[in-house]
Amino acid sequence: MSETPQAPTPSAIAVTTSGAAPPPTEAQVVFTPPIDIFETTAGLVLLADLPGVAPDSLELQVQDNKLTLFGRVDATLPEGAQVIHQEYRVGHFLRSFILSDEVDHENISAKLNHGVLEVILPRAQQGEPRRIPVAIE
Amino acid sequence: MAIFRWGHRWDPLQDLEREVDRLLSSVLSFQGIRFGRQYPPVNVIQLELEYVLTAELPGIRPEDLELTVANGVLTIKGERVGPEGIPDERFRRQERPRGNWRRSISLPDSIEEDKMTAEFVNGVLKVHLPRTPVVRPRQIKVVDGNA
Repeated sequence: MSETPQAPTPSAIAVTTSGAAPPPTEAQVVFTPPIDIFETTAGLVLLADLPGVAPDSLELQVQDNKLTLFGRVDATLPEGAQVIHQEYRVGHFLRSFILSDEVDHENISAKLNHGVLEVILPRAQQGEPRRIPVAIE
Repeated sequence: MAIFRWGHRWDPLQDLEREVDRLLSSVLSFQGIRFGRQYPPVNVIQLELEYVLTAELPGIRPEDLELTVANGVLTIKGERVGPEGIPDERFRRQERPRGNWRRSISLPDSIEEDKMTAEFVNGVLKVHLPRTPVVRPRQIKVVDGNA
């Protein structure tokens, strides 16, 4: 038997900053994808498992201080298909996060590789500490 | 927003969900390493000419995926590795399954093992198992031995 793996290159995903979060419209199951979040010297990295989500069916939005990921998965079976064994269900993926001011909202970037979304959340530059003069009465 | 942060770790990503929702969703939807369940979960559909087996394997590199077929049993195995070079204490959340996994699935009798193919797209493995053409029952003519 042969294996024909497809090796898609990590594709950049546009992060939109306007518009409402896309609501799941169809009557399809929506799952909360499992995630990892870890800290690097540059900021935070978020990884989310989104099996079956193609780069063009993933929407990633930052609105105000809310980061929303929504991945559409086409659950339609080929015509005439009959399910003979089922251990998992196919559905969309949705999860939201609150971002603090410490994340540089303008420079969030993301890529999708083999069903895993990687979101880079750079740390915002901290302003100079401002001295507050205390008046003595 | 906290003003005084001394002694607090940098944790600007706050999950929207409440803990209850999290628990609920972890029960309902976290596919994969759930206690007593085999990883990865697989689905099989039957089409006119083939069976198609699918398994969700996000983050697996195709070169790390091993498929073998012997004596009517298909075995898939591989390893899920975490992000490289990140020590555990840097993790704020760790929900994605990790580790070695292996799954063996008995194949139906009526497939052509040497014509099986597999593809891996967007973290989903799809194995095509062509069905053997249905053998037409052969009529055996009974000759009258007394004649």
